[in-house]
Amino acid sequence: MSKTFRGGVHPLPGLHQGKPLTDNKPVKPYVSETVCIPLNMHIAAPPSTPVVKKGDRVLMGQVIAEGVGPRGVPVHASVSGTVKEVGNVQQLGARTSPCITIENDFQDEWVELKGLGNVETCDPAAILPAIQAAGICGMGGAGFPTHFKLSVPPDKKVDTVILNGAECETFLNADHRLMLEYPGKVVDGLRAAMRAANVETGYIAIEDNKRDAIAAISKAAAGRKGVHVVALRAKYPQGAEKQIIKAITGREVPSGKLPADAGCIVMNVGTAAAVADAVIDGRPLVERITTVTGRVREPSNLLLRIGTIFLDAIGACGGYTVEEPGKIISGGTMTGIAAPSETVSVTKTTGGIVVLSQKEATSMEESPCIRCSRCVEVCPMHLNPFKLKNLCDMNDLKAAQANHIMDCILCSSCSYICPSRRWIMSSIKNAREQIIAQQKKGV
Amino acid sequence: MALHISTGPHLRSRQDTPSLMRDVLIALCPAVAASLYFYGLKALWILLVSTACAVLSEYVWQRLMKKPIRLNDFSAAVTGLLIGLNMPATVPVWVPAIGSVFAIIIVKQLFGGIGHNFLNPALAARAVLLTSWPSYMTKALVPERTLTFGLFESSVDAITSATPLVAPVADIRNLLMGNIAGAIGETCKIAVLLGLIYLLIRGVIRWQIPVCMLGTVALMSWILGKDPLTAVLSGGVLFGTVFMATDYVTTPMLKVGQAIFGVGAGILVVLIRNYGNYPEGVTYAILIMNIVTPLLDRSLKRKVYGEVKQNG
Amino acid sequence: MAESNKPTMRGVFINGVLNENPTFRLVLGTCPTLAVTTSAINGIGMGLAATFVLVCSNFVVSCVRKLIPDKARIPAFIVIIATFVTIVQMVMQAFLPSLYDALGLFIPLIVVNCIILARAEAFASKNGPVISAVDGLGMGLGFTCSITLIGIIRELIGNGTVFGISLLGASYQPMLLFVLAPGGFITYGLVLGIINAITARRQAKAGKEE
Repeated sequence: MSKTFRGGVHPLPGLHQGKPLTDNKPVKPYVSETVCIPLNMHIAAPPSTPVVKKGDRVLMGQVIAEGVGPRGVPVHASVSGTVKEVGNVQQLGARTSPCITIENDFQDEWVELKGLGNVETCDPAAILPAIQAAGICGMGGAGFPTHFKLSVPPDKKVDTVILNGAECETFLNADHRLMLEYPGKVVDGLRAAMRAANVETGYIAIEDNKRDAIAAISKAAAGRKGVHVVALRAKYPQGAEKQIIKAITGREVPSGKLPADAGCIVMNVGTAAAVADAVIDGRPLVERITTVTGRVREPSNLLLRIGTIFLDAIGACGGYTVEEPGKIISGGTMTGIAAPSETVSVTKTTGGIVVLSQKEATSMEESPCIRCSRCVEVCPMHLNPFKLKNLCDMNDLKAAQANHIMDCILCSSCSYICPSRRWIMSSIKNAREQIIAQQKKGV
Repeated sequence: MALHISTGPHLRSRQDTPSLMRDVLIALCPAVAASLYFYGLKALWILLVSTACAVLSEYVWQRLMKKPIRLNDFSAAVTGLLIGLNMPATVPVWVPAIGSVFAIIIVKQLFGGIGHNFLNPALAARAVLLTSWPSYMTKALVPERTLTFGLFESSVDAITSATPLVAPVADIRNLLMGNIAGAIGETCKIAVLLGLIYLLIRGVIRWQIPVCMLGTVALMSWILGKDPLTAVLSGGVLFGTVFMATDYVTTPMLKVGQAIFGVGAGILVVLIRNYGNYPEGVTYAILIMNIVTPLLDRSLKRKVYGEVKQNG
Repeated sequence: MAESNKPTMRGVFINGVLNENPTFRLVLGTCPTLAVTTSAINGIGMGLAATFVLVCSNFVVSCVRKLIPDKARIPAFIVIIATFVTIVQMVMQAFLPSLYDALGLFIPLIVVNCIILARAEAFASKNGPVISAVDGLGMGLGFTCSITLIGIIRELIGNGTVFGISLLGASYQPMLLFVLAPGGFITYGLVLGIINAITARRQAKAGKEE
């Protein structure tokens, strides 16, 4: 029996979540002429400070920006070539971010790399610095610095590391292909993380619609100490941190606390593979697998350099099949972020680029709530989304907080299922931003 | 080139309000067909008038009040059709017409339109008609035609009976087929059951309310020494359960609440039938539970994920 | 709300009938409003009975307002009101037995009618006897008009008649609901809503003109 949590949705049932477009396409490398690398790819840390200037020649893997503070991580050049520009460029979230643009000389000339060798025999204390030096952050979407996640504060007892290979988002197959093609790296990454955090038990959790990935990972994990492979029921948001912990361990992360308070660390499988590279070879994170799909001619899983422009990646897939794209999403259709232009960059967290047609992108008008209770049924946090939406619309933030608005994980299952097409998640998100702003002001 | 920007989800579920209401209309088709078979043009006329009046009232109101016209969500059509199907064949057509206008204007629009009514409009209208013109509303006609599929002989005396409940032939087969007196849409139980199955398969309604309500009616009748199957199949219980008690707006949000709603309505049906002044209690049973719904919604809480116990 | 400090007779009277109409603006005395308005004649009978009690009790309360100790004022008011209610009840029983039967319990219940107690408390105990009587008359007539209006509507729809005179012809099938309790609530609510809408519109217009 596959494990799961209570609630959730089965998005896009007719399209099988859009996954069949790319689930059997092997990963293809693609390198573009220029890359534009944002320096603020990591949340919970200030943007990294550039250490190169216009006109410098950089090698692949060379640090081009240093991390700031204990959480900060460096950014590396993902191609060898010449720095063309250091400055602000429009990126996701309709804001401009500091970026370094590099013109590729297609030499792929690496800096000298020095790894720790074997993940099982290396010094556990050396693992975290290696991860930090490689610039690794959570590749599932959030982008939390991995070395920081793995440094457990002494007052918390963590006994489990969970590798999240659920990939419950629609359309994306990046993690699926990674697990199929590089299962060894995933398992090595898990072992490295377990040793770094001094944990005995590790799980690799995969949704049961990816039987081939389960088989591949199980084979690679055979005989590895403390590594278990778990099948999860295919359901959205199965890969959300809190839901995956509940499904596997039966524990709940206390409200307002971190997974570590439930004794767990959750990491994306992509991050684990990057960790394996960093620990074994000392290779920094300069490329990732991204699913480019939707209204493109040849939907593919591409191995892209960090900083690749979306338009280049889409071009590598044969371009649009529609005259004018309606929406370009970084990520899947449930929680992905709509890109303000085609020229934003692939970051360490870009698991997918989904192109929608004009018709798909035009949303229907909101109509009045008919109290069908579907949002209540699907909420994986067991909240009352319809009530929260009403409270948010009335701007009653106090009441919204009393109704656990801060526990919402913004999975947007409620908005997805709503037959009245109400923007439930958006209202909740806006209200939460207001609440956080008020709290900051208060402090 | 302008790219659309919004938060997720970027694609939505295919089920929307119009499609849900359309599914309810489809689920009502067997009942409509049965009513046409049994009562012919009379039924057609009643259904047309009730539906047209409901849709028209909605349009006129929204036009006058300068509200967005929402006829395309089909909710007014569903209400009108339900009112029509709840009429006995002998009723003059102005009765369902008034019922439809009342349901849409007074019960639905005055409280804020779709999603804001605290009573099921069709049921409230039926209750109004029942108290206003009781003689028209309780005089039901036993159909002149019978439906047997050649499986059995039906002996139906074509007389009017005082109430739909005291059917002349209380044979289970006749109850199922609809060879009894009653409102035009609710007598043929097979048609109603087809509707129920369709709604359940399409995921329009959940099983909690129908199962709990019918189960409670059967159990309570059995306790009181009645035949449970006859109790479930006679009168308007089945129709009310499938199409009225499952109305989203007036039923609780949580599944526990829905189960309580069903059980409560079931108990009330049996109590009103056996101890009340009315021959049939479905209308009032469901209406009373409609009123209890906000209380259920407010008092039932479920545990939020990761909720930390307060003071404990 | 009196604009000037000294209320004028005319202002007080108009105030009672329109601006502070007890039924539709203050929403006081809803119990008789809902219960006895099954016909126009009941409405008018009830209204006039209440008016008589209001005028008399306001006058008397105002006269004795300086004699009543503050703490004992409510019982004192009720004794005064009850006296007049008893008079009304006896007179009605003697001369209008059919109306008396129709109104039944609601005649003695005038004693605890909020309008009367409220006017005694809010107006009569602070103003002179004559103007208090005028206030009682205004309030009473406002109440009478309102419940007669509701009575007319309910009788017309629920029985096809107004003041017992058939208006809608013999073929009219009365909508019984309107002479039953739910009809009272529905009619009251609808009239209240319409009056609110009119007032809101008028205020919006006045606001614009300013």
